Amino acid sequence: MSTPFSVQGDIPLSPAAAFAAAGSDMPGASRPAVRASSGVKLAVHDLTMCYENGHTALSNLNLSVSAGEMVVVLGSNGSGKSTFMKCVVGLNRPTGGSVKVAGRDLATLSGEALRRARLPLALISQHANLVKRRSVLANVCCGALGRHRTLATALGRLPRKEIEPALGYLEEVGLLHLARQRAGTLSGGQAQRVAVARALAQRPDVLLADEPVASLDPEAADEVMRLLRRLATEDGLAVVCVLHQPELAARYADRLVGLRSGLLEFDQPASEVSSEQVASLYIAEAS
Amino acid sequence: MSKVIQMHTPPGASGARTFWSVCAAVVFLALFAQAWIVVQARPEDLVTGAHGMADIISRAMPPAFDQFVPNLWPVLETIDLAIFGTVFGVLLAFPLAILAAANVTPALPLYYGARALIGVTRAVPDLVWALLFVTAVGLGPFPGALALAVHSIGMLGRLFAEVIEDMDMGPVEALTLTGAGRVQVLTHAVVPGVLPSLLGIGLFRFDENLRSSLVLGFVGAGGIGFQLLTAMNLFQYQTVSFLLIATFVLVTGAERISAYLRKLFM
Repeated sequence: MSTPFSVQGDIPLSPAAAFAAAGSDMPGASRPAVRASSGVKLAVHDLTMCYENGHTALSNLNLSVSAGEMVVVLGSNGSGKSTFMKCVVGLNRPTGGSVKVAGRDLATLSGEALRRARLPLALISQHANLVKRRSVLANVCCGALGRHRTLATALGRLPRKEIEPALGYLEEVGLLHLARQRAGTLSGGQAQRVAVARALAQRPDVLLADEPVASLDPEAADEVMRLLRRLATEDGLAVVCVLHQPELAARYADRLVGLRSGLLEFDQPASEVSSEQVASLYIAEAS
Repeated sequence: MSKVIQMHTPPGASGARTFWSVCAAVVFLALFAQAWIVVQARPEDLVTGAHGMADIISRAMPPAFDQFVPNLWPVLETIDLAIFGTVFGVLLAFPLAILAAANVTPALPLYYGARALIGVTRAVPDLVWALLFVTAVGLGPFPGALALAVHSIGMLGRLFAEVIEDMDMGPVEALTLTGAGRVQVLTHAVVPGVLPSLLGIGLFRFDENLRSSLVLGFVGAGGIGFQLLTAMNLFQYQTVSFLLIATFVLVTGAERISAYLRKLFM
């Protein structure tokens, strides 16, 4: 597990201590009210994933995320966080349970049906995964390709209708001035924000972020987390974020979900989760 | 050897290493000796026969520069053979490479089919392809151009497939997850990712095709090669030396231009 650091200084803190320190300035109370509707956008029911080698990565996991809500999933390496994300997004087929997005169960679909059902679900990974030789704007427009399956886009043209909205998304992530720049010239933090803009171009209901700040410096990490928080609060997206930084989780999440050995340890409002609970996720796994 | 390394070297390891080094040297020498025998190497003949070479070189001087204008068309033919072969080679090799790249191929049977086709077109030399096409379409530059195109498919197909297999799959996965279709992912993530490398390889192939087109002229595919063969058969050594100078300029020029363009694209 990576050692979390306090945001103010360079003194390394334990996960629990960092969590407690972050909790003291947690903006939960002062967070603006959710503008969008509060309907459930992602409903995971009894999700179970058992690999061919017999290892059970997830056991009967239940989770629902509503519009405008930001949920952070915490857990040590091997706790099942990545498996959970892969199952939700349809990269892994769970051995049991359901993953419902916009009323459709992704766990039972495959091929073209899965592709269509996945449209309301956007994923941001640890690496921005931009096409480095293309412009920032082209990368953002690519997020909308799923809705524009035409001959022109198949031949490599960008969907014209998406250029204006894409510029809007770039403005939203604060990078409009870099629209024409090559993606390969961006810093890590900027690239990750472009990845967020690309996800927005998909016009999703649910935004999944798998360790989106793992390769960023604290300042850039804060910026990306602020952006995700804003997308939940102001745009009404249901945001699910896997993090290794409990202090960031405490500062930005509405709800914290703790995973240990594939089991749900807690699923509570961030303000109610104690530093001991967070610490137990890591200590117990190590012992 | 330092003491630390000595401490970690198992007893007898040094002796075993020496034994294997001697074995490797003996095998290499045996290999070279049989090659010497099989090619019937007689270096003394090279010394005694040097006057024959000197005689031909003296008869080839001065080069017949008055052949410049009559040979402009064969020069153009040679260049066009390379252009035709490279363009068709690239156009056909790219889709084949997509099928033959393990990371993006749509289906396993297509992967094996494409790999087999690449293997066949690559294994058969362009000279053999040219002879085959001569029987089909007759003498002239066209069979040579076809031969270069078919052989290029194999050479380029393999290299293109390797470039695609080595590419960063992050953008491909990211676009797939946005709901983009297979062809969209190909044109928006795979192609922009590998295009500079493919252009570089294509230009390098043009350079090689130009040299091959000279040889193909010897089997009736036109161009400078055919002029060279004719001049040699007619003992017109001054024309031969001029054509060799023209060939040198052509090949070196193509090399420089292709190197410049590669630098520009990469």
